[in-house]
Amino acid sequence: MSGQGSKFREEQVLIICPGSQTTLAQMGCNELTPPQHRFPTRMFPSGESSSEEQNQQSQQQTSWRPFHTFSRINPKTGAEEWVEDVDSLEGAVYPIQGGHITNMDAFLAFLEHVHSVLTTTYHNTPIMLMASPQWTRRDCEAIARYIFEKTKTPALCMIHSGVATQYGLKWPHLTVVDVGYEKVDVTCIYEGRVVAHKDVGAKPDDEDIDEDGSGEFNGEGISGGEVFTRRLMELLKDQDFDHEMAEQLKKSNVCEVLPYVPDAPELMELPTAESAAATAASVPVVVTSSGEGPMMVTTSTAPATAEDIDATLNGEDKVIDEEGVLDVANIVASGNTREFLAKQEKLKAEKAKAGPGRKGKGQESDASAAAKPVRLPNSKRVKAIFHYEESITEDVPIAPPVTAPPKENGAAAAPAAPKDVEMAGADAAPAPPTEGEDAKKDDSAPKPEDGAVKEETKPEEQPKPESAPTEPTAEAPAAAAQEEPVPTERVTRKVRRDIEVGLERFLFADRKEIDRIVTTIYRTIQNIDDMYMRPSCWENVVFVGNGARIRGLRDNIMQTLQSRHLISPSSATMFTSELPSNIGTPTGTGSQTPTSSFAGPSGPQGGVNPLLQAATAAASLQIPGQQQPGEMQQTHHFHSQTPTQIKLAPLPTYLQEWTKNGFEESMFLGAQVAARLAFCIHNLDAQGVEAQRLMSLSRVEYNELGPKGIRSHSMLF
Amino acid sequence: MSQQPLASSVQPTDIYGGDEVAAIVLDPGYCHTRAGFAGEEMPKQVIPSFYGQIGERELFGDEYINPRANFEVKNYMNRDSVVEDWDAAANLWEWMLVERLQPPRPLPPSKNGLNIGDDGDVVMDEDGNPSAPPAEGAEEGAEEYEKPLYENPLLMTEAPWNSAKAREKAIEVVMETWSCPAFWLSKTPVLSAFAAGKATALVLDVGGANTSVTAIHDGMVLKRSVQRSHVGGLWLSGQIRTMLDGSEPKVDIVPTFMVENKKPVEAGQPAEARLRKFDFPISNSFRAYEEERVLTEFKESVVEVWRSPGRLLTPGNEDYARSQPGRVFEFPDGYNQMWREQRYKVAEGMWDENAAYGANNADESSRLSKSQTIPGLIKAALDGVDVDVRPNLLANVVVTGSTSLLNGFNDRLNLELGALYPGMKIKIHAAGLTSERRFGAWIGGSILGSLGTFHQMWISRTEYQENGAGIVEKRCK
Repeated sequence: MSGQGSKFREEQVLIICPGSQTTLAQMGCNELTPPQHRFPTRMFPSGESSSEEQNQQSQQQTSWRPFHTFSRINPKTGAEEWVEDVDSLEGAVYPIQGGHITNMDAFLAFLEHVHSVLTTTYHNTPIMLMASPQWTRRDCEAIARYIFEKTKTPALCMIHSGVATQYGLKWPHLTVVDVGYEKVDVTCIYEGRVVAHKDVGAKPDDEDIDEDGSGEFNGEGISGGEVFTRRLMELLKDQDFDHEMAEQLKKSNVCEVLPYVPDAPELMELPTAESAAATAASVPVVVTSSGEGPMMVTTSTAPATAEDIDATLNGEDKVIDEEGVLDVANIVASGNTREFLAKQEKLKAEKAKAGPGRKGKGQESDASAAAKPVRLPNSKRVKAIFHYEESITEDVPIAPPVTAPPKENGAAAAPAAPKDVEMAGADAAPAPPTEGEDAKKDDSAPKPEDGAVKEETKPEEQPKPESAPTEPTAEAPAAAAQEEPVPTERVTRKVRRDIEVGLERFLFADRKEIDRIVTTIYRTIQNIDDMYMRPSCWENVVFVGNGARIRGLRDNIMQTLQSRHLISPSSATMFTSELPSNIGTPTGTGSQTPTSSFAGPSGPQGGVNPLLQAATAAASLQIPGQQQPGEMQQTHHFHSQTPTQIKLAPLPTYLQEWTKNGFEESMFLGAQVAARLAFCIHNLDAQGVEAQRLMSLSRVEYNELGPKGIRSHSMLF
Repeated sequence: MSQQPLASSVQPTDIYGGDEVAAIVLDPGYCHTRAGFAGEEMPKQVIPSFYGQIGERELFGDEYINPRANFEVKNYMNRDSVVEDWDAAANLWEWMLVERLQPPRPLPPSKNGLNIGDDGDVVMDEDGNPSAPPAEGAEEGAEEYEKPLYENPLLMTEAPWNSAKAREKAIEVVMETWSCPAFWLSKTPVLSAFAAGKATALVLDVGGANTSVTAIHDGMVLKRSVQRSHVGGLWLSGQIRTMLDGSEPKVDIVPTFMVENKKPVEAGQPAEARLRKFDFPISNSFRAYEEERVLTEFKESVVEVWRSPGRLLTPGNEDYARSQPGRVFEFPDGYNQMWREQRYKVAEGMWDENAAYGANNADESSRLSKSQTIPGLIKAALDGVDVDVRPNLLANVVVTGSTSLLNGFNDRLNLELGALYPGMKIKIHAAGLTSERRFGAWIGGSILGSLGTFHQMWISRTEYQENGAGIVEKRCK
């Protein structure tokens, strides 16, 4: 068993966090960075055989390609050639839906794709793979089997996404609310163990569930971010919003979930024309001069929470970050140094002018918004402008593109980059399609080979809102076709349109959907078997998943929980009669005389608050990074009603990069931490070694145990 | 770089042909149905045995029990913890075992609509025999393959008083609908004892709908010892309801789903809550189910079993309880009140038939009799077994079932047993972990199902096909 003792280097660990839309991946866990690579979680069945032929073949033989691949006749040479179209979604198969793996073949092929993109031929790369709670045991076994039998991976660690979040945030007790694309998971973790889990979201083959009781089954079984997008689309039908527009609007700054107002008839305060005017008269001075400026935060009704400010600052930082990404060498190399510097200056000036009120993405700071004399917080305005960017792809018969050489990643990088800046606050859900852009995002990582480097300057030019706010930025065409240049170039242009949206941008937050999440959270925590665990879980709620990036959603859910379920402090008198007793298992000796209930009246000032006691006792038991078998702990007899407190778990502040990135993806951070623990830590004591051994499945163990080894050698519960 | 003795490029010594036999353990109860893989610590799936129905449509799982139009909540079990509605039972089980425990399955080639051809279909003649005999075996095999659980043996639990008919029905469902390769039916008290590590035990199972006492000897149920009464969780809810109705002022239970938000109010003051409005009528069954959630919370945090010497009705005790600081319970709408002696009194009927609410009713049928209380059940159970085994049983009392989690339950049980059998060695074994107490029978089943020797006991599919459903009576004693 010496094999287990050997450790891997931190740079060698491959970390993969699959999601139903985007998969986060990275090689190495030495830096604890935000994910370097984002892959769209989709595969394309390779289209070589005609459909009839395919039917004849058994399904296992479908081969999968990462991009839409089709054959065509090269107009120049007249020869048949295979083309990969990185932009096309035609025939895409999304192997994960609502957290469930619906197409294992495609998923495995996808893993293979990620693996091959990120690893070199050297096969000493252990894999840390995050698993959704929905994955069944057989799914996990199939994955383990595939990884060990088809790749040369030396060790595999699968980690439950809730547990991964917990490792990222380091709190021993946590309620993780994971708002995904089409599902919401609520996982309660106590001392590193999953103690309760519930999810909402339909299985893909579920028939539609009638959620609103309207009597029609309208496909609303899903939950999570996509629901909001669909709702926006529905509300803005008249303005011809399509899915992509709704998605961009949802991620933009003008879209937000208003705070929960318990007394309002609609449970939120929608701005009206009068109120907007009134606030404009009274507030603006404060907003513009306070220096705090985040326009969306300072409203009189909404207490400005730290998160709000964070979020806004993040947006601000992001720009700097994006700018910082450009390393000087590249700029110099590309020869536009002067141009770049001029732009930088201009930008700085602009920023200074706009002051703190400037939104990170320049959304509001460009012409239209700046022209307004008074800056109202978004939540007070009846209408707001939203810039919709679409990329128009057309075949243009010019041979040489002006600026960009037809590089492999060119086409993808161009559309992706502006979007990225545009969405600074909420960019992560739609995956920018290729790796080139990802490389750019990360400044600390070594630049990957060729392609990416040269293109970097080009995308950066575009997002400047002041340079050409509405004109199509046509100077950045790029070729979609790879390798061989062809006479017709596929050109992708960015077109930006300003669209005014009204109150729909607040109304999309369906009470029904929020109530569903709230109810799930409540039931999950209240269903934890052991009552003494509940307070800790109520006091450490964390929202992750990129669906949770919708502005105000998290706060609204917390406010709803608090005003609906909180047990008021006046009831706290019950603590006076509650003393923790350990009469869980009587010994039969008669020693358990129930003195505790007869201890006489002990006022609140008398004894130690048992809640506090329980909390501290539990906290001291916690050994980070180790799973404690539940049997070892003492039975607390805690019988108080919960929740008496509902709080968000504080987020760590010492990881700057992550503060910028937002902790919505903290499961990725946790996966890195866990990967270190599982694969890289040396010099543990005997207990630690054993715990570490059970964290991951090594090849030796796989040979011994087979795929079922993943049941015990993993971090799945 | 550290040395890397792992020859990672070496292929596994043998290629594993699929996963190992994964037995599934299914433990249906009145309140919850539990299912999971044998060998695991906890059931993977625990869902209410209650399910929702809209018209013809059945919705399983807690997340679907939400206010909806025309939504009725039903249960496939009856109050005796015996399956009543077999269609719903099969559907609910299948939902758990197939939808939740197994990965989604692609449609079989014959059904996915891609393979409709001229030559694919076997033409049936008048008698229903395939005209091409060789195809018969293949077709049948394929059909079995298509059934969801063709490779998972299934271990199911049953109440000790389950009827022969229900048992046969169970094996029929399992074999015919899911094509399980093997099946076993085991009685819950045996499994609970097993989970506690005992082959001989007196099992006291205080569950949702029933409380039962069963003597187990060497892993076998002593049939004459089986005693049960309805004094369980639901009965306790009934007591609480009576208590709330009778208190001054009368307390109405407003279930959580009706509350939009609430304001804190002083104890005893009327609630100030904003209620949700539904533009459709809420069915009584749904409301009752939701009220039960509130009552469960009440039981968890307020109700306590009187556990000082003497019963609650012993003169002076009730007054003493009244003088003690009680516990406050806040209802979902914000109404809160302190409960003092009442919180003991609601549970006292489990032990003392005279203390229960409604004990003074003239109506005979609603009154508890002495034999229905827990001491009465234990006494009757022990009276039904040989004198010689009684000491052994009393030294191994296994307590299980979620209602046994009531605060003070074990202390009281100890006192009562001591009073009932003075001089005997009495040892109570009650798992400390809440989940172990709730899922005792399932855990026992999980242990049993993962034992290598147990694989010789299963009723295999072939045996079933040869002998018919009657085999379950012969084998699963």
